[in-house]
Amino acid sequence: MYTYKTGIRLIDEPKGGISPGSNILVLAPSMSSGERLGYAVARPKTGEYAIILSTIMRSVDLLDFFSSARLDPSPIGIIDTVSKLSTPDITDTTQVKYVSSPSDLTGIGIKLTSIVESIFSGDFGSSDQSLFPPPIRFYVDSLTTLLMYRRLEVIYQFLHVITSKLRKMEAIGIYSLNNESFDERTISLIKQLMTVVIEVKNEQHGDFLRVRGMPGITQEWVPFQVREEGLEVIM
Amino acid sequence: MIRTGILGIDEMLGSGIPQGTRVVFSLEPGVDGRPFFFRILQTVLDDGKNALVIAPQTTEKAFFSDFYQLTGMDPGQAKGKVTILDSSTRNRINSVHRGQKSRLKAWKDCIRETVESRGVAVMFLYLDLLYEDFGFEGALSLIPSKKESPGLTTIVEHLNLEGDSLISRFASESLFDMVISVHSDISSVPFFNFFTLEYVSWGRMPRRSVPYTFTGKNIRLYIPKIIVTGPPSSGKSTFIANASDTGLSADRGDMDGFRTTVAMDLGWLHLKGFDITIFGTPGQPRFDPIITRIVKNAMGIIMVIDATRPDTFPRARELLTLAYAARIPVVIAMNKADLPHSLDEHTVREGLKLRDDVPIFFISSLKRSDVHDVLESMIDRITRT
Repeated sequence: MYTYKTGIRLIDEPKGGISPGSNILVLAPSMSSGERLGYAVARPKTGEYAIILSTIMRSVDLLDFFSSARLDPSPIGIIDTVSKLSTPDITDTTQVKYVSSPSDLTGIGIKLTSIVESIFSGDFGSSDQSLFPPPIRFYVDSLTTLLMYRRLEVIYQFLHVITSKLRKMEAIGIYSLNNESFDERTISLIKQLMTVVIEVKNEQHGDFLRVRGMPGITQEWVPFQVREEGLEVIM
Repeated sequence: MIRTGILGIDEMLGSGIPQGTRVVFSLEPGVDGRPFFFRILQTVLDDGKNALVIAPQTTEKAFFSDFYQLTGMDPGQAKGKVTILDSSTRNRINSVHRGQKSRLKAWKDCIRETVESRGVAVMFLYLDLLYEDFGFEGALSLIPSKKESPGLTTIVEHLNLEGDSLISRFASESLFDMVISVHSDISSVPFFNFFTLEYVSWGRMPRRSVPYTFTGKNIRLYIPKIIVTGPPSSGKSTFIANASDTGLSADRGDMDGFRTTVAMDLGWLHLKGFDITIFGTPGQPRFDPIITRIVKNAMGIIMVIDATRPDTFPRARELLTLAYAARIPVVIAMNKADLPHSLDEHTVREGLKLRDDVPIFFISSLKRSDVHDVLESMIDRITRT
C-alpha cells in the first residue's frame, strides 16, 4: 500500500508516513505558520499530485508563492474561489479551475472532480512514476473561510462526502483551520472527520506543533519551522 | 412541452417536460450539473421563451460567462430574455431585511414580480444557498404555486448532501413532478457519469439509470452494450454491419467455405439521442463459454434468427438461456423474411416459447431501415419500459 510522507519527522520516522484515505487537520492560530505548514504537508512528492482549494489567495499569487519556494507547479492543480469575483470572464485551464465564490460548494465539487479526472486520464502535468491510482494530496486552505460563508452543518456534510471520495481515490486530505475563530463545538465536529490533528501554537521563541490521533507518537509540543525554499519542515 | 434539448432525455420523456411542472436535478457532490441546466436554458431561449435564473451563489457576469463558454451561445440571443437574481440580490435582501420571515417574503415578492413583469415561462432555481437560508420547505415555497403562476415551469438544481433519503422524499411527497439524480463515480474509473430518472408524475415510467458523457457542448447519453446473438448463419454480422456507423468484425472461412464469426463483431452508432455499442456473439456452440462473459452488463439482447429455418429454434432457445435473456430486454429479429417459406409470428412465438411482450420483427438485415426498426424498438425497451 502506498504511504504518503508528511515531511514531519515525528510522523514519517516511526510510521513511514500516513495511509491513503487519511485526513489531516492543521489547527493553528492566526499569525502562526500553520497555513505554511499545511502547504508543506500538501507538497507533492515525486510521482504525486496535489490539488489546492484556495479560498484566500488568487491562483496567480499561489503560483508565485510556489515559484518563490522553488516548487515545481506542474503536478499541482488549483481550485481558485477568489479570482472570479473580480474577473468574472476568467476561464478554466487544465491546472487552474475557477469557482464564483467560497460559498459555491457545488462548483467546488465540480472542479475537484474535473482536476481528478485530468490526473487520472494522464492529461495533467508529468509524473515519473506510473502509480495507479495516482497519489493525490487535496489541501483546503482554508476551512476557516468556508465556515464563514456556509453553516457548520452544511460544511460538515460536504466534508463528509469529500472525505469519502478521497478515501475511494486513495488520496489524502489536508485542511487548515484557525482555532481562534470558532467555538469548541465547531472544532470538535470538524475533528470527527479527521484521522490526524496537527495543532500549532505560536510562542515568543517560535512555532510549535503537536500531533494528535496517531498512537505511539509523542504528544509533546515540538518546535518547528517551515523553510521558505522547498517548503520543508525543519524540526 | 418544454424541450430539454438533451436528445436522449427528450426521447425518454416523449418530447420533453410538460409546461407548468416542477423538475429537480439532484446532484451528488462533485457532479457537474451545469451542462444539464445550461442546455435546458439554451433550448428555452432558442424556443423564444423568457427565463428567470435564481443563482445566489454567483454573480450575473460570472453566470453568463460560464453559460456562454459551455453552450457556445451568442450573447445577443440571451439578451432581454433572461433575468438573473444573483448574489447581489441575496446581499441586498439580507442587508435590508432582518429576520428569516421578512427575507423570505422579500424573495417571494421579487420572484413573483419578475415572473409577472418579464413573462417568464421557465424558472431555473439553484436551491443550495436558499436551502441553507430558509430550510427546505422555505426554499421550496419560493417557487410560485400553480395557482399564482399557471404555466410556469420550474427547473431546480440541488446539491444533495443528504443522499438517497432526500431523493425518496422528493418522490414520495410529490414535491416535484420529475426527479433526476445525477451521479459521478470517482474510483478507479473516475469519469463514469450517470443519471437516474427517479420519478415522473405525468406518466408511468420505471426508475432507470443511463450513463452519459460530454462531447463538446452536448450531453450524449449512451447505451454501453447491446448484444446481437443468434444461431449460426442467421445474419448477425450483416445485421451489425448495417446497423452501425462504424464497426469491426472478426470472421474466418469455415470448412464449408462460408464466413463465420470466430470472436465477436463490434459496431458503434448514434440513434435516437444515444451513442450505442453493439456486440455480436459467434453463433457456433463451441464459442458458448465466451457468450456468458460477453453478455455481462448488457442492457439488451437482439436475437437474430433465419425466418426460413425453424430447425435453428432449439439453438436460439439455448442462446436465450445462455444470455440470461429473461432478465434483460429482448427483441427478436426474424431475418431473411423476404425469402419464400418465411415463418409467421405465431409459429415463431410458439417455437421459441416467447412471452407476448417480446417484440418480433420480420426483416431483411440487408436493409438498414429494417435493422434500425429493430434497434429503435430495443432503445424503447431499454429506456421506456
